[in-house]
Amino acid sequence: MLIDQLSVFVENRHGALAAVTDALYRYGVDIRAIAVFDTTEFGIVRIVVDKPEEALKDLKADGFVAKLSKVIAVEPIDKPGSLNELFHIMGDNGINIEYIYSFVMRRREMPYVVFKTDNQEKALQILKDKGLNTVVDL
Amino acid sequence: MIWSTYETMARDQMEKLQLERLKQTVRRVYDHVPHYRAKLNELGINPEDIQSLEDLKKLPLTVKNDLRDNYPFGLFAVPQKEVVRYHASSGTTGKPTVVGYTKNDMETWTELIARIVTMAGVSAEDTAQVSFGYGLFTGAFGLHQGLERVGASVIPISSGNTEKQIMIMQDFGTTALIGTPSYALHMAEVAKSMGIDPKKDLKLKWGLFGGEGSTEAMRRELQDAWGIFVTENYGMSELIGPGVSGECKALCGMHISEDHFIPEIIDPETLEVLPPGSVGELVITTVTKEALPLIRYRTKDITSLHYETCDCGRTTVRMAKIQGRTDDMLILGGVNVFPSQIEEVLFNTEGIGPHYQIKVFKKGYLDKIEIDVELIDDNLLESFGQLEALKQTIRSRLRTVLGIDAKIHLHEPRTLARFEGKAKRVIDMREVK
Repeated sequence: MLIDQLSVFVENRHGALAAVTDALYRYGVDIRAIAVFDTTEFGIVRIVVDKPEEALKDLKADGFVAKLSKVIAVEPIDKPGSLNELFHIMGDNGINIEYIYSFVMRRREMPYVVFKTDNQEKALQILKDKGLNTVVDL
Repeated sequence: MIWSTYETMARDQMEKLQLERLKQTVRRVYDHVPHYRAKLNELGINPEDIQSLEDLKKLPLTVKNDLRDNYPFGLFAVPQKEVVRYHASSGTTGKPTVVGYTKNDMETWTELIARIVTMAGVSAEDTAQVSFGYGLFTGAFGLHQGLERVGASVIPISSGNTEKQIMIMQDFGTTALIGTPSYALHMAEVAKSMGIDPKKDLKLKWGLFGGEGSTEAMRRELQDAWGIFVTENYGMSELIGPGVSGECKALCGMHISEDHFIPEIIDPETLEVLPPGSVGELVITTVTKEALPLIRYRTKDITSLHYETCDCGRTTVRMAKIQGRTDDMLILGGVNVFPSQIEEVLFNTEGIGPHYQIKVFKKGYLDKIEIDVELIDDNLLESFGQLEALKQTIRSRLRTVLGIDAKIHLHEPRTLARFEGKAKRVIDMREVK
């Protein structure tokens, strides 16, 4: 299952992230996961939220450059080497992972892993074939 | 519609009129302005020596510093009691440049504006919102008077308080917007953020912009943003304010009211007069002004003059869009660049907004240029690489088109400075150590 992820353009300056989360808070959007990678001037904040469509509309109204894109969320099996296995499955099938991050949900033991590949449909199919648990509902 | 019969005068008649008025003006400044009397004496010129329009080039040039040196009223050709209005330039440093108008000058000015607003499509049917700042700056009052003269309903809202401007625009049914092009762009952005679609929710038809230069790309941007027909007009307070020239619907240059202004194009280096069609500095002699007549005033604006009759029927000469100003030309690592050329490149690049800032500074002996732009295209958020590629695209276009190497910075929308009056797009820090 592909889930919606918000991508928001932010400059690398103090308060930039707070401006995004302020807006989401104001509109009552609940953040499930967030990731920003190390950048110099600007970056893209990746956020998984409970109401992606509304959040997108709200952020845009506030003047942010934002878009929704589809990412894959999986729940790796709780055993050593399960991430290693996941990356091998992707790599061996010629799928490139563009970025990945993980997050923990309350009352659950295992973190979810969220990632974006260069061929989302194929990646999903392979995960399904291999019996990996892709997350449907966050 | 054409406001005045002077606009369609045959060339020989126009030249006859210009010569007669030029003679009067030279006589007037010789008799009443010590600065000009001294200059003419120095050159051994007597007002009687002016016998043809060709003789114009014998006369001395006037520069802005002549006005500053004679601050405030030294170049006036009338006593103060004849003056019914003062305006002053938005001089950023030191004393402003002061200009004055007699009763007749006010009448001339009003008529000149009536001409340009008519050219741009505005009539008694229109409701015109004047979003220039009212005050010493000539833009607002100038347009105001001429718009009233053609019978338009004028809203003297001034600049600033943008949300209220949009509200009034909607509630009053404004059909013509008057202001600087950069403020008009900013207003469009604010309208959008208020959830207003100018094409559906507003009655705007015309945009009359001036007070600063603009490019064709900016015209397209304004037309798209507002859904209006955009014309540009030209003037400067020293000459009279707005009203020197304006675009008609044919959009092929700005018609100069030649019965009041004689234009020439000179080479800014050699000061030689160039033939029609050549690009150079615009020099203007006012031939009807009473309070502040100026002989061969160097505008510092780079343009060209075109004398062919326009499709609109007017016979008056047209000046091309201002390419730049002699004093805002940037010399970057030996390359001459006008900010307007950089603007053209930026405006033709997809993914970024119309606001920008150019910063120039020295690193060692080298000129460094950095350009701030705002990202607007959310399609580039899939990967960081796309954003880097956008920066590269802008950089390589600037290199190919203008031969300059600039570092590009992407910013969030609405973070760069917005301007309610004239935009200040260039920050040159090279002189500041």
